[in-house]
Amino acid sequence: MINNLDDILYRVEKPARYIGSEFNSCMKDKDKVEVRFVFCFPDVYEVGMSHLGSKILYHILNNREDTFCERVYTPWPDMEALMKDAGIPLFALESKDPINRFDLVGFTLQYEMSYTNILNMLSLGDITIRSSLRGEGEPIVICGGPCAYNPEPLYDIADVISLGEGEEVLNEVIEVYKANKGKKRFEILKALSSIEGIYIPGFYTVTYKQDGTIEDFIPKYDFVPKTISKRIVKDLDKANYPDKIIVPYTEIIHDRIILETFRGCTRGCRFCQAGMIYRPIREKSKETLLKQSEELIASTGYDDVSLSSLSICDYSNIEDLVTEFIEKNKDKKIGISLPSIRIDSFSVNLLKEIQKVRKTGLTLAPEAGSQRMRDIINKGVTEEDLMNAVNSAFASGWSTIKLYFMIGLPYEEKEDVSDIGALADKVAQEYFKIPKGVRSRGLKINVSSAIFVPKAFTPFQWAAQERTEVIKEKIKLLNYSINSKAVDYSWHDSPVSYLEAVFARGDRKLCDTLIKAFELGAKFDGWSEYFKTDTWKKAFELTNIDGDFYAYRERTYDEKLPWDFIDIGVSKEFLIEENEKAKKQILTEDCRLNCNNCGINSKLMKGGCM
Amino acid sequence: MRYLVKFTKGDAIKFISHLDLMRTLQRVVRRSLIPVDYSNGFNPHMNISIAQPLPVGVCSKAEYLDIVLSTTLDSSAIKDVLNKNSPTGVNFKDIKEIIATGEKKVPQGMAVIDAALYDIKIKYSSEENIETDIQKLLQMDSWVILKKTKSGEKLTNIKPMVKKFDYTLKDNTLFISSFLSCGSRENLSAELLASFIKSNTSNVSEDSFTYICREELYGIKDGNFVPLYDYFS
Repeated sequence: MINNLDDILYRVEKPARYIGSEFNSCMKDKDKVEVRFVFCFPDVYEVGMSHLGSKILYHILNNREDTFCERVYTPWPDMEALMKDAGIPLFALESKDPINRFDLVGFTLQYEMSYTNILNMLSLGDITIRSSLRGEGEPIVICGGPCAYNPEPLYDIADVISLGEGEEVLNEVIEVYKANKGKKRFEILKALSSIEGIYIPGFYTVTYKQDGTIEDFIPKYDFVPKTISKRIVKDLDKANYPDKIIVPYTEIIHDRIILETFRGCTRGCRFCQAGMIYRPIREKSKETLLKQSEELIASTGYDDVSLSSLSICDYSNIEDLVTEFIEKNKDKKIGISLPSIRIDSFSVNLLKEIQKVRKTGLTLAPEAGSQRMRDIINKGVTEEDLMNAVNSAFASGWSTIKLYFMIGLPYEEKEDVSDIGALADKVAQEYFKIPKGVRSRGLKINVSSAIFVPKAFTPFQWAAQERTEVIKEKIKLLNYSINSKAVDYSWHDSPVSYLEAVFARGDRKLCDTLIKAFELGAKFDGWSEYFKTDTWKKAFELTNIDGDFYAYRERTYDEKLPWDFIDIGVSKEFLIEENEKAKKQILTEDCRLNCNNCGINSKLMKGGCM
Repeated sequence: MRYLVKFTKGDAIKFISHLDLMRTLQRVVRRSLIPVDYSNGFNPHMNISIAQPLPVGVCSKAEYLDIVLSTTLDSSAIKDVLNKNSPTGVNFKDIKEIIATGEKKVPQGMAVIDAALYDIKIKYSSEENIETDIQKLLQMDSWVILKKTKSGEKLTNIKPMVKKFDYTLKDNTLFISSFLSCGSRENLSAELLASFIKSNTSNVSEDSFTYICREELYGIKDGNFVPLYDYFS
């Protein structure tokens, strides 16, 4: 245990990040458990503590009598510097023990830009960074989360990659680890590799063609499978969900109860990775949700519940759920919030019902400006839908509306981009259709654009990312296309999205670049104040890697992709079909209405998603 | 019904801010399901107030909270339910109902505070000169240090605000127990006293944390300093 912490904590900006002992955090006698697990979130406390998946897994692991799961977040650079000076290794918040004393060190992969923080945390914890060099007696490093769907850039960092939802597989990992504890690393990893959904990168070799693309992905041993299937929880009503969550002392980003209503999404937007990898759709019943919210309100003292899922308004029983929730909690001064809403007047009116005080603006995401482009990405939203939605919003007293778009989407023309400005102007005009006495004063339309990053397991996984020069032009074009004074446009043409594109579809060769960038000082790449383009440029140069090969190159359908060995249940044929339909602007129906044979129900659900 | 609650901010959570502590207490109260009063208005606020805010890095054995409930409850029952719902670091020690006697409104806890007792531990690399350094300081008429006020920084003689100053030495550590002016009429923070002592003694261990714990808060009753809890009857 580290005991001279006070001597550095009084000198850091936010010491409350590092003290632990929050209400509902778990303290166990470490001598009475068989497995010690430390859950690492590669970002700062306020961000990591807001993450729902970590709360679920912390709860599940600590429910086991044989396991003690603790937490650690990336120390902010001021803390890191003081820890290094004082010789304090990275420690877990609960026991304050250094993380290299643990059996299993878990990292969640939420976004590519947190990878250097993983390396930094291992290094601060005195754990060997390369899996291939990690010694006997060092912890087993296990990674999981959405970015694990292309784990290859981390192939020599992670000992173990967990694919899919962690609820069940983590219990199996603990059981197998327990049964093999004390054996050689190879034996432990071999045993773990028999669990479905577990991938041991070190047990495979990759060969490359002359042109740099992958030739083959070969298992080194006959006991490991050639493809790995993701794991899912079949029935969310029966899945373990925390009845208590940690209540931090200091304010975090999402300082409220997060109630997960369903997993998966039936919309099938072609740019969206979450919409593919989290298939199939699985809802919790209204009864389960009301019961879970009640338990969590009682055990935390929070006064705000946020419903969470992809496309929350698609929950089949959303109106009843919200109405009953409000009815049940009206005397307790508890609010309910929706993180995002669908573009239609039903959703706007629902939001109006629950948001008694209209303190914030309304955010809508048409994603693209032209109908042509929205059909390409299968957004399934028409201009009429948007006008109806904003009309309802202005009539209900909103006067600030945020519109979110992507630029650089595949098959996008300049006209599609200038249509974004035109669409924003039309939204502004809709405001003036509402009589003066009814609408609120101070119209403000905030348009923001993000740069599209092609991701693995989407219909656009073969596409080239738009080059920075073209993006810059398009941003200029968009800016000129806005006429209304009420419209404000904000954007960032940050090089971060290029790096994100490189790693999102990168292969094993990038692992060296990642390590080099870390050695050159890269960290907190997702934070603009710490992201350094030059550091990364140098890292690419020194490791002889051309980032453009990963970001700007269009792939052919017959190319072997780095993530092809993973089976997410959605077939490659379906993704190809969707990309072809995108080229022809053909829509694919919401799969609540009609099954589109993506493959998930035959492979994972064994007959029917719904 | 108004209650005065005495509680601790433990060593483990000394680095949380006043606002963090307020938020934490509000959540304790919500979890406890005790019938706390809310302010009227657009954005109702829980009717609780802390008597004297603590700076980040300072712990306390005697914090005070005024809380208004809509019904009368047994004090020890409130204490039990609050403790059951509080994180490690916050411990509720005593609760008493404040009953107005006669016409006059009973003042809030924060209005009657005049002094506070602190424990301070300063670390040194060597204790060789401390004794003489301190003796010298004690013989000085004034202790002048730059003090932050509402209108900026000002050189201030803090010695009159130091009502009692005891010390002992052990293992290169100076243990101070000091009684200081506190509250809205005259206030000297223990941190300022500690930094005065540190800058006027030799061999201070510069990078070490200086431990400060508030031991008690006092009001003046019948010419005597009495702990806040005993001030109200």
